[in-house]
Amino acid sequence: MTAIHLENLGKTFGSFTALKNMNLEIADGEFVALLGPSGCGKSTTMNMIAGMIDPSEGAIRFGDRDMRGVPMSRRGVGFVFQNYAIFTHMTVYENLAYGLRATGVAKAQRDRRVHDMAEFLHLTPLLKKPSAGLSVNILQRLAIGRSAIMEPAIFLLDEPLSNVDAAFRAVMRTELKHLQREFRQTMVYVTHDQLEAMTMADRIAVMDHGKLLQVGTPIDVYNNPSSVFVAGFLGSPGMNLVKGRSVEAGGFIRVDLGEAGMSTPLPAHLSASVPEGASVFYGFRPEHCELTDGEGLRLPVTFVERIGARTIVHMGSDGSAVKCVFDNRVPVRNGEVVSLAIDPSNVRVFDAETGAAIGGAN
Amino acid sequence: MTADILEAKAEPVEHEDTRDSRRLGFSLTLPAQLLILFIAVFPILMQIYISLTDWSPLDGISWWQAHQLWNGFANYTDLVADDRFWSALWRTVLVMAICVPAEFLLGLGLAILFVDNFPGRGFLYSVLLVPMMVVPAVAGYMFFMLFQSGGPVNDILSFFYGAPVTIAWLSDPDLAFFAVIASDIWQWTPLMFLILLAGMVGVPEDQLRAATLLGASWTTRFRTIVLPRMKTIIIIALAIRVIENFKVFDNFYIMTGGGPGVATETISIYIYKVTQQELIWGYVAAVALVILISLSVVSAFAIKRMSQSREAG
Repeated sequence: MTAIHLENLGKTFGSFTALKNMNLEIADGEFVALLGPSGCGKSTTMNMIAGMIDPSEGAIRFGDRDMRGVPMSRRGVGFVFQNYAIFTHMTVYENLAYGLRATGVAKAQRDRRVHDMAEFLHLTPLLKKPSAGLSVNILQRLAIGRSAIMEPAIFLLDEPLSNVDAAFRAVMRTELKHLQREFRQTMVYVTHDQLEAMTMADRIAVMDHGKLLQVGTPIDVYNNPSSVFVAGFLGSPGMNLVKGRSVEAGGFIRVDLGEAGMSTPLPAHLSASVPEGASVFYGFRPEHCELTDGEGLRLPVTFVERIGARTIVHMGSDGSAVKCVFDNRVPVRNGEVVSLAIDPSNVRVFDAETGAAIGGAN
Repeated sequence: MTADILEAKAEPVEHEDTRDSRRLGFSLTLPAQLLILFIAVFPILMQIYISLTDWSPLDGISWWQAHQLWNGFANYTDLVADDRFWSALWRTVLVMAICVPAEFLLGLGLAILFVDNFPGRGFLYSVLLVPMMVVPAVAGYMFFMLFQSGGPVNDILSFFYGAPVTIAWLSDPDLAFFAVIASDIWQWTPLMFLILLAGMVGVPEDQLRAATLLGASWTTRFRTIVLPRMKTIIIIALAIRVIENFKVFDNFYIMTGGGPGVATETISIYIYKVTQQELIWGYVAAVALVILISLSVVSAFAIKRMSQSREAG
C-alpha cells in the first residue's frame, strides 16, 4: 500500500522545465535518496509527492491510489523540512502533539503517544521546554518525531542535514538510518551530498537538469555509472574521464589517450562493445591507479594535495586531467612525469558524444 | 590579535578620561536637553501649576501670577463631580470599544484576503490604503456631506426603499453617533489592514506547510500558527489605534461639533470646548493632566505586556 510510483512525472514553471518524464518505483519500506546538484528537480519531485505542488504531467500513485487532487493534509505523508519548520512559539510537547491534536486524537491517547515518541527520541526531559532556542540536533529530532508520531506510511526528508556541521552530520547519518529501520517506513531523502546518499540509502536516484539519470544501489551506481555526469558527480574526487580514440590491437580494443599514451587493452566485455575508431571517454576512479615503473599512462604532476589520511595527486591538463588518490607518503613532486598503471577491470568507457556508458558491468 | 592589542591599550586611557568625556558628552547634548526641557518638562510643570488655580486668560493677569487665584485641589474635586466630563470620558471609551475591534476585525479579514496573490491585488491594495492618506478634517467634511438629509447616503437608501428617505443623520443623537463611528472605521481600517498584512506575510511558509502536512485544517492553522505568530504585531496595532482613538477629534468635530447636545462629545472635543468657549483654563489644565496620566499608565502597561510577549515568543 505504501509503495510510491512516479509515472512520466513532469513539471514546468512557465517556460522552465523543472522535471521531465520521471519514472521511478519506490518499494514499500525502501529508503531512496534523490541525489543531484541544485536545480536538478529533486526538490520539485519531493514537493509533488507531498502535494505542495501539482504535477504538470504524469501521475503519482501511493500503492494503487492515484494521488491526483488529494490535498497535502490528506496524503498521510511525513515531511521533514530543510529548516525543520519547528513551531517555535510552542513547547516541545506541543510540537510533538500538534498533528494528533489537529486530527482530533483523544487527549489520553495523545499524551501516551507523545511520551512514547519523546522517550524514543530522548526528548523526554525537554517536553515542557519552549522549542525556540534548542540546538540544531534537538530541533532535527523534534522535526522527525513530530512527523513520525502521525505514523505516516511515507516519510520525505528535504536535505535535513544541510544546516548541521560536518562532525554532527556523521552522527546524524547513523541515527537517521537507525530511525528508518525502527519506523520501517518508505523514505525519500533529497540531498546534494553524495556521502549522505551513499551511506543511508537502499537505492540512489541521480538527477540532473530535471532528468532522472540512473537508479540503483549506492555501490552499483558508484561502480557502474550510466553516464559521464553520474561518473563525475559521484565520488570525491569524481571519476577520471580522459578523452581518447579507440584502436584495435591484437583482438582487443585499446584507447589512444593522446599525450598520455596508449591504455592497456580493455577487458573482453568492453572490447566486444566498444567500436573501433570511436571518440570515447576512458574512465577510472582515482583510487584505482597505481604508480608504476613499467608501462603506463605518462602524465606530468601539476599539484599535490595532501589532505591528511590521503594524498590527491593532480596530473595532466584539460582533456587529460587526472586525479589519483594515494596514501599520504606518496613520493611525487610537482612537475615530475609519473607513470600510472590502471586496473583494467575497473575501467569504464563512455561515448564521447552522448556521454552514455558503453558496455555493461563486468 | 590586533583587536586584543587595541583593547589592552584602550582600557587605562578610558579610566583617566571618564570625567572629561562625561563633561564633553554633557555639553554636546546640552542643547537637545534644553529643548526637551522647554517642550516637555516646562509645559507640564506649567500645567500642574495652572491646574491648582482658578486662572483664565480673561482675568487680566499673566499666567505666572496665577497663584493669586490659588484654589488648591478645587479643580480636581470639581472634576470628580463634573457629569459632562464623565459622560465625555465614557463616550470616548465607548467609541474606542466599537471602533478598535471593528477596525481590527475588518483589517484582519482584508489581510487574509490579500495575503495570497490574485490578479489586481496591487491595484486594490493601493485603493484600500487611500482613506488613511486623507486628511482627517477632509474626511470629516466628506462624511458630513454624505450624511446630510439630502445626501448620498439617503439617496442610496431611497433607491432601495423605493420612496424618498430623509433621515436627519447628524441631528439625531443615536444616528449621529453611528455616523461619526462609521467615519472613523472608514478612515482607520486601512492602517490596521496594513500592519496586520505585514505581520501575516511574515508568518513562515514552511511552518504553515508543516502544519498542513500534519493534517491541520485552515482554521486550525490560523488559530495555532498565524495568530500566535502575529501576537506582537497585533498588540502593536491595537495599542496604536487605542491611543490614537482616544484622541479622536477632527472628523467628529467637523461632522457634529460634539452634538447634537453632547451625543458625540469625546474627551478631546470636551477639552477643546471648555478651553475655547468657556475659557476656564485652570480647570482644563486639571482635566488634561488627569487624561495624560491615565493614558500614560495604560500605555506603560501595554508596552510592558508587549515586551513580555516578545520575550516569551
